[in-house]
Amino acid sequence: MALAQIAEVGNLTLALGLAVSVYVIVAALFSQFKQRGEFFASAKHGIYVVAALATLAVAILEWALITHQFRFEYVANHVSSDQPLLYTISALWGGQEGSLLFWVWLLSLFGAAVLIQHLGQRNHLIPWVIAFIAFTEAFFFSLLIFISGPFVLLAQTPVEGIGLNPLLQDPGMFIHPVTQYLGYVGFTVPFAFALAALVSGDLGYDWIRTTRRWALFAWLFLSLGLLFGMRWAYVELGWGGYWGWDPVENAALIPWLTGTAYLHSVMIQEKRGMLKVWNLVLIMLTFLLSILGTFITRSGVIQSVHAFGVSSMGPLFLAYIAAVLLVFAYLLYLRLDKLQEENRLDSLWSREATFLLNNLIFLGAAVATLWGTIFPMISEIVVGKQITVAAPFFNQVNGPIFLALVLLMGVCTLIGWRRASPQHLVRNFLPPFAVSIVTAVVLFVGGLYDVYGLIAFAASAFVLTTVFLEFFRGTRARMRMYKENVAVAHVQLVNKNRRRYGGYIVHIGVMLAVIGIVGSSFFQSSLQQNLAPGEEATLGPYTIQFQKLLMTRESNAQVIGADLIVFENGKQIDTMRPQKAYYPAADQMTTEVAVRTTARDDLYLILAGWNDDGSATLKVIINPLVVWLWIGFIVFIIGTLVTMLPDPREAKARARVRAERVLVSA
Amino acid sequence: MESILQNPPVKSSTRARSISWKFIIGAVVLLGVIIFVMYNSFQSNTVYYYTIPELNAQRAQLAGQTIRVNGALDKSSIQNDQKNLVLQFNIVEDNLVLPVVYHGVAPDTMGTGESVVAEGKLDGNGVFQANSILVKCPSKYEESQVQ
Repeated sequence: MALAQIAEVGNLTLALGLAVSVYVIVAALFSQFKQRGEFFASAKHGIYVVAALATLAVAILEWALITHQFRFEYVANHVSSDQPLLYTISALWGGQEGSLLFWVWLLSLFGAAVLIQHLGQRNHLIPWVIAFIAFTEAFFFSLLIFISGPFVLLAQTPVEGIGLNPLLQDPGMFIHPVTQYLGYVGFTVPFAFALAALVSGDLGYDWIRTTRRWALFAWLFLSLGLLFGMRWAYVELGWGGYWGWDPVENAALIPWLTGTAYLHSVMIQEKRGMLKVWNLVLIMLTFLLSILGTFITRSGVIQSVHAFGVSSMGPLFLAYIAAVLLVFAYLLYLRLDKLQEENRLDSLWSREATFLLNNLIFLGAAVATLWGTIFPMISEIVVGKQITVAAPFFNQVNGPIFLALVLLMGVCTLIGWRRASPQHLVRNFLPPFAVSIVTAVVLFVGGLYDVYGLIAFAASAFVLTTVFLEFFRGTRARMRMYKENVAVAHVQLVNKNRRRYGGYIVHIGVMLAVIGIVGSSFFQSSLQQNLAPGEEATLGPYTIQFQKLLMTRESNAQVIGADLIVFENGKQIDTMRPQKAYYPAADQMTTEVAVRTTARDDLYLILAGWNDDGSATLKVIINPLVVWLWIGFIVFIIGTLVTMLPDPREAKARARVRAERVLVSA
Repeated sequence: MESILQNPPVKSSTRARSISWKFIIGAVVLLGVIIFVMYNSFQSNTVYYYTIPELNAQRAQLAGQTIRVNGALDKSSIQNDQKNLVLQFNIVEDNLVLPVVYHGVAPDTMGTGESVVAEGKLDGNGVFQANSILVKCPSKYEESQVQ
């Protein structure tokens, strides 16, 4: 087949994808309004067909990338022939058109997965669910067909492609967009079920139970997306930090915040039959913020000085968001009478109350971050002048908010459901409170005088103590009751109540991450110095001796590095080589930092410049405790996985619901 | 973990209602605090965008204020003192030239940049003292930022 025909096939695949998606919407709705089961069966087939078509489109684009078909505009812009295969593959999600295709491909697979998950079950929500998934698929296919197509051919075949942006040629950037998108797209499924519950009027806990794992899955991948994004920024961007309140970073954080609020508040609906409207609103927000995040990330609309050509996508995204919002609001209004709370708050001193507070604070952080992120866009529209919001805004607002969340995390664990008695409260609070005071005093005596640092570390000690006490009490009870040894009792404690103790493991991870964040943001130190060969620079306990500049060649880059010997308190401990790489194909320079990590701190070295006289200019940064951020993330992810494991109690509850359904229908 | 079905709705009492009210008041106060902190911090952290002609016309008022300015990069004007990490260059719009000084590591994209967004202050000599610069590259929406 000639290239032009292959591109035609690609375009045809997209057009068919759109057509079949529209058919699925119509057939699924028709099956419900006219009670025609055969249309539902046909709509289900349509979902599988869309998955097959999207897979074919991805395969064609990936083939063109790997075989360097530079006549494809997308290939010419994102691949060069000397680029490693790994980054040729990842070029699929390295640009706008490819990543939109990637988005719809993931969604089509999720749609098929939902159907497979419910194979042989009668769930009256499914027709509405697939109608909404197909609607969203149709939207993304429309973008690919009418706005920016991945199969556009150039008039002439260029000899060489531009190549993937060298900054994106990093293992972290290979994986980060994938996890980010799995998270963004994943929230479509719980939201589709929420909408279906609204339409059908079946507004109990069922839709949440069915999608509990989907929500956790999406949330897990959003978390992984944040982890890989931060890690990439830290090692690849070379400015010594991992978070800069950049619009793209914020776009990933905001749905994570509302998603976290959702995962907490659904527990209240499960246990007490409360917060029904609130949960629907939270999942709606999380989904729409994921869509907004995709838009912000892909269009670059906020960073751009002037409205870019790409923002022709803007009105379409806005129209989609507005449509979903309107339909949702209308359905919610229709169903308000069915959304009565089954219980009321018994006391302000109850776990429910702390969960509500947690929700408000998460939402506050999301709103503040969103406001700062989209303000440049709003100001440009309203007053015709772009006004940007500087990073300190986000720190000043979110700093206290996150501190409050940390405290609440400790308090919540200590307070029981419904109502806590004052004696009970005092008894529970005393030990962790004492530990946090001791921590603060020890740190102060040890020479830490920063007020915010002290407060943050004391709060972390408070929370960690509460969680350890939970584990301690549970383990001790098991050891007594079942005569298990310490290790077995620990494992069984988690195993018998995976959701609860998985959640606690997540909290431990968060606290470790907080320690890393506080350490590296309040106590960072740095210096810049020009060194001739043999000269030294000293920062904290470290002395860095510059040896010589070294030129090397890699497959697609020229690299210059500074050979350094590192001493700690006068003793030689390591050699390091920070580098700069020049990529001729893209005509671009990148910084390759050298990092030496210990539990206490990271020594972070940047080669800032070099001179004809053989001297090098170095930037030396010490980031205290930053490794705990990454360790915390790993613990966090392990905890999330534990909560996702099949839960014996949940299986029982599900069996009971099924039995009741049979009774009702009989 | 009782299911909802086994747990019939509790009749709302006056006491429960007063707790709801307490909670709502608490929530309003909390949101008020968040909004207050946002408002306060917002005032001091908003940075206005100016083009070089706008900056030129209002240079007296704008001197000393933190602003953002953007213009085309004059590549021939780039002077990068790598020993002391002082980067100097000119940005241009409508034949108006604005000299910019930045103390720090030059962005990797400086040599290939097409235009620059600089954040900082205009000093008394008409030189823009940048505390961060953002280089925009031709035909790509990817960009790099240093702070």
